[in-house]
Amino acid sequence: MEKNADWQWEISAHRPWFRFNLREIFQYKDLIFRFVRRDIIASYQQTILGPLWVFLQPLFTTLVYFIIFHRVAKIPTDNIPPFLFYLPGIIIWSYYSDCVTSTMNTFQNNAYIFNKVYFPRVIVPLSSILFHSFRISIQLLLFLGVYIFYVMKGSSLHLSWQVLIAPLMIFITACFALGCGLIISMLTAKYRDLDNITQFILRLFMFAAPVVYPASLIPEKYKFLFWLNPLTPAIEIFRSSFFKPEPIPFSYLLLSLLTTAIVLITGIILFNKREIQIMDVI
Amino acid sequence: MSKKLIEAENISKYYRLGSLGSHSLLEDLREWWAGKLTTRDAHTESRQHIWALRDINFDVYHGEVLGLIGKNGAGKSTLLKIISRITLPTTGRISGNGRIASLLEVGTGFHSELTGRENIYLNGHIMGMKKKEIDRKFDEIIEFSGVSRFLDTPVKRYSSGMYVRLAFAVAAHLDPEILVIDEVLAVGDAEFQQKCLVKIKSISQEEGKTILFVSHNIQTLRNVCNRALVLDRGKIIASGDPETVLASYIKMGHDQFLGTDYTVQNALPGNEYIRVRRVEIAPNYLNEFQVIDVRTTLDIFFEFEYKVEETGELMVNLQVFSIAGELIFELASKNYSFGNGIVKGESTIPGNFLNDGLYYISLTFVRNSSARLFYLESCLSFNVEDYKDSGGWYSGKWAGVVRPSFPLSLKQESAGI
Repeated sequence: MEKNADWQWEISAHRPWFRFNLREIFQYKDLIFRFVRRDIIASYQQTILGPLWVFLQPLFTTLVYFIIFHRVAKIPTDNIPPFLFYLPGIIIWSYYSDCVTSTMNTFQNNAYIFNKVYFPRVIVPLSSILFHSFRISIQLLLFLGVYIFYVMKGSSLHLSWQVLIAPLMIFITACFALGCGLIISMLTAKYRDLDNITQFILRLFMFAAPVVYPASLIPEKYKFLFWLNPLTPAIEIFRSSFFKPEPIPFSYLLLSLLTTAIVLITGIILFNKREIQIMDVI
Repeated sequence: MSKKLIEAENISKYYRLGSLGSHSLLEDLREWWAGKLTTRDAHTESRQHIWALRDINFDVYHGEVLGLIGKNGAGKSTLLKIISRITLPTTGRISGNGRIASLLEVGTGFHSELTGRENIYLNGHIMGMKKKEIDRKFDEIIEFSGVSRFLDTPVKRYSSGMYVRLAFAVAAHLDPEILVIDEVLAVGDAEFQQKCLVKIKSISQEEGKTILFVSHNIQTLRNVCNRALVLDRGKIIASGDPETVLASYIKMGHDQFLGTDYTVQNALPGNEYIRVRRVEIAPNYLNEFQVIDVRTTLDIFFEFEYKVEETGELMVNLQVFSIAGELIFELASKNYSFGNGIVKGESTIPGNFLNDGLYYISLTFVRNSSARLFYLESCLSFNVEDYKDSGGWYSGKWAGVVRPSFPLSLKQESAGI
């Protein structure tokens, strides 16, 4: 049958293998922000402490890690006050882990919407990443507060110029989390049994990043593998920029950018290919 | 002829049944391995695979209201989902001009913790409206819904009626070129349903919108549409003028269907909440020919699996339609707060009540008096034969929808005038 060039849209089984339609996403920007707003309002409804939980979570975790990993296990903290050492690691790690978890559950949690109406599915993970970015921004303020408190107390901390690229590290973490989440979401939507495995792997993955120990503990021969994980430079650059005089080499940064790009592009390709087909199996 | 807005060519949809959703990685790997060893014909129909739609072709023209009718499993919902871009066709393509909005449900994405105001925006954005657009229509939406007093109350405190009204109000103010509407009107009270129908008519007639309307109700379609399509087992079997098309649809169902046990074939109609196991009409025959006549009492039984995550109230609604699609009567059970499990229901249609004719029964499963969990359309049908006792004189068809035998007697008061 002849093709009519005048059509504005077309639905068929064929989809280009890479498509990230920024214009379409931009058209739905109101929806993205509305989802973020919904998540913010809904997460503190009927809680007594409300938004305070954003602070309490990292504070309590830091306290527990301080006791377990510092006092009991006596893992060194690069001569940084342990409380300050753990806090950014925990904040960045939980940002990553929250983003991955919410992205990977995109289809299960939103099947009731996806079954009834069309919009670019990637809107949902994007909005949950924004929601968690909102949380991490507040948590970083908490970190700054604690940091200033320590400086006032007279701890010797070195603020380096690398502080300027610290926000970039948060952004890389977000992209890496989005990529991981999109890939996992494709797998778990189809195979529910993978859900449990990924939860477990995600929990273990924390120990592959320098959350509770410094990168300096890693033996030379594993260094390359260790720095391949984009979370390593994210956390380490964050720490070094606030606490240490010597900067992190740029090659490490480039390596993590490369990994992030590969993971994110793979995620988008998979997601784009399967986002609609997946609705038939949920 | 007016402009063509949608053109659907050779739409087919192939589904995997049975193992749907419960597929484990291991099974898939095994299947993949098996596929490596033997070349199998990928798209053959078998017990696990089905063509929900087969080579569907149709066009939608500017300004028309196209009605789509078909029994359960005819492929209506699948076609709607494809047009709404919720699922992809296996083959074929649909091309079109203009923005499509699909109303497969009202209030999609409503969040119970949020206020009415927040939900208007949330739902509006989900349906593809921009913030400016909603701002502009906000007052109209509120007025249409009639819940202005509760605008800043979380919708979880709304009554089910208010909830549906607010949800429909947003939907009614969508401004697409093409509106796709599913049987959403089945919720809400009669007055509200009427209001919705009027709104749909005005959208098409006054605003010149194109509407694709899917319903099981012949009367509604007859009122609203100017063209109709009949779907049966994944194929379009009739299309054209509503009167003619609907008449052919009516004839399709001309046989009695006194029940089935779906568990035998393990093809339970339903969804994640409801899976119907069995439906049955058991007539208390009064004659040896086993024919249902106007005196026969009919016992109706049904059995279904009920599964919900949150506890709520369950109600079943039984509707009896005439062959013309006219609702003769409906029965509603009480609200029960059951947990998950198998639920049995029964009802009785007394003898000496329905007039002769063919009737069919549909079951609706409703949660919290508001949300329709599942609609099992025309799952049963029965033919009531006329009965004349020996003393009767009248040989034609009794008039009237019902044929009760209320006493009517005469007595002579006095002799002679």
